[in-house]
Amino acid sequence: MSRRAISFLEGLVIVAILLVLVQSFLDDLSVLLDWSWDTRLTLLYAAFVLDLFFCIEFFCRFYFARVEGRARRYMTRGLGWVDLIASVPLLLFSSGPLVLAGLTGGAVIGGTTRMLNLLKVVKAIRIARVLRLLRTLKLFKRIRKVDAAMAQRHVTRAATTAASVVILVAVGFTAVDVAVGIPGLETDQERRLAGIAPYVDARGLTEESAQAELELFAEQEPLLLVAREDGEPRYSRYTDEEYRELFGPHDYIYAETAGTEVFLDLRPLHRAGARIGMLFFFAVLFIVVGYLVLYAPHFAVTVSDPIHVMRRGMEEDSYNLAVHIDPRFRSDEVFRLADSYNRVFLPLKDRNRGEGASSDLSVDDIAGIFDTGAEGGSPGESGNREE
Amino acid sequence: MSSENHNPDRQTATAFVRRLLQNPALSSYTPLQKEDQIIQFFHTNAGQLSPSLSTPQFFGRRSWNEILSLLVSALVELVNLDLEPAIRRMIDERLDFRFVDFLQEGSSPSDQRQIRSEVEQAVRDVVERHDARRFLVGPFTAVYYPVIERYVEEIYQRRSYIHFELTKVQRLRMGKDEVAEMVKAATLLKPAVHLISAPGASPDERSAGLIQQDYADNATKTLTKRFSSLPEPLLRTAVNANVSFQENRFIEATARLAAVLAARCRGYNPDAVVDRGADWPGKSWFATARRNYRFYGFDGKMIDELYQIAAEKGW
Repeated sequence: MSRRAISFLEGLVIVAILLVLVQSFLDDLSVLLDWSWDTRLTLLYAAFVLDLFFCIEFFCRFYFARVEGRARRYMTRGLGWVDLIASVPLLLFSSGPLVLAGLTGGAVIGGTTRMLNLLKVVKAIRIARVLRLLRTLKLFKRIRKVDAAMAQRHVTRAATTAASVVILVAVGFTAVDVAVGIPGLETDQERRLAGIAPYVDARGLTEESAQAELELFAEQEPLLLVAREDGEPRYSRYTDEEYRELFGPHDYIYAETAGTEVFLDLRPLHRAGARIGMLFFFAVLFIVVGYLVLYAPHFAVTVSDPIHVMRRGMEEDSYNLAVHIDPRFRSDEVFRLADSYNRVFLPLKDRNRGEGASSDLSVDDIAGIFDTGAEGGSPGESGNREE
Repeated sequence: MSSENHNPDRQTATAFVRRLLQNPALSSYTPLQKEDQIIQFFHTNAGQLSPSLSTPQFFGRRSWNEILSLLVSALVELVNLDLEPAIRRMIDERLDFRFVDFLQEGSSPSDQRQIRSEVEQAVRDVVERHDARRFLVGPFTAVYYPVIERYVEEIYQRRSYIHFELTKVQRLRMGKDEVAEMVKAATLLKPAVHLISAPGASPDERSAGLIQQDYADNATKTLTKRFSSLPEPLLRTAVNANVSFQENRFIEATARLAAVLAARCRGYNPDAVVDRGADWPGKSWFATARRNYRFYGFDGKMIDELYQIAAEKGW
């Protein structure tokens, strides 16, 4: 593959990562603010397309790494594990099923006993979206600073560790929650949902004579959307048009007990998930930004910059700048070394050179002259080290 | 144009050197600094340059010494084209010799035009002498850029060791602007000491380019006769700037300052890019000089003060 094509694809990945950030934020915001279903469906398609893109990216990278015999290296040091868990599970368990449900118009259906399990699945899908934020870490792999390879590696490692720990703890905690049901507000909500259909049935609220009681119950129980008895509608919170505009297939759940059917609102549960999602979104975003903005410069100032200056001083005859030693870090090993460099090496280098000047020119600078002869070529060619 | 200039090797050397001089890496340097850098480049990279330049494309089968001689000769010729107007301009625009009247109290006002002419002649004589020419690089740069003025200004602001040495020990009865001009003139005339030796017989006793006090005293007398319009204190200061302070603790403060700033400016580049994590060029230079002051014959306390100035001002 040509260098230009690779560069284009790398650029495309960066754009996709930035789009993921925007999509993730808008996705949670749309749930919190009850945006229309059409808008949310568009965001869902966008998530699906991005998940598909990153799945293809992962498989391509893995394939080429394997062909070149470095699959293990890619999966470990190359952050391939991030590529994997931030792509395939999301397509299979999050955006894929939701888009499928959206396309087929199918709803999550459950009886009373299955309902709790289904709600747990909904929750697991919801929290799995947090994995998408791992893609942010892929940005580090693409920020190339040739002169500061060490700084890049250290900052990437630190940020990747911090952000992935936060994300994996969130996902792991949810997995445990789904498995054993850790008590909390959300589990109370789930139990409440599961108890509505049996309650309505037991109280006979869908009887024709109990219409007033049903409406009073619906007023106190905002999760109840529709109540029916043997297919006959007894109560509906919204008009059909409002349902079409505001509700998607996964925004409600259907339950049936002895001929009493209820449709229940899942959006409050989604909102709770979106709150958590947004919390993790900002946590990861600020971890990444914090490492880039706060830690990376600190690392550069205290480690890579002094080493860069010392390396140049040792390699280049004409480079005589001393390392700037910040008094706050004077006792750091790097600055103790830099102090020796300033006090011992530079004076020694200067004395060894004596009266002879050093030159800023190198043979590389005049390569163009040898290529074109003394007369040919433009002067700029000889001085451009990039060439 | 001389017949020598039609020599193909000469033309190749001129073209080669011209391209070197146009190298962007040297764009911020004075003509003499460029020459200094290129000569050093020839010496440092002789091993790599020699095989490439000994090809038919360049100088055929000539030896490296012959090639080097051709290149240096072409280099000096090209540099002189820029240097000569630069010397005239510098002496006319960058130097003010009214301080001379303060050195000759009681005498009639000095002939400024004659002084200017003799300083120019002295500099041109140094430029003509290939063995002396290299000693002009630092002094020329120190006067070419407003380096000395900036340091003298700060010295007078601080009123510390150097100020005390100038005003109380050397007892200069003139303002700071005149002191700065005197240091500039002495710095520029510093290499004139090399004019009194036979060509090729450099008086420096070691690589730091220092001379003995006895030699300096004789040189002062000779130069005073040769440049009769220039006051003896100025020439003595210029010559003593080549004497180690470790050898003679009574060297004039202006001479000590001229010696330090001329050395500082040899590699001075006003457009130098400072890497992140590195100290400023001036601060770096003086930090190194603080360790090597004995080797170069500098006044350690003067270096300390100049280091503080460079560090505080970010020079």
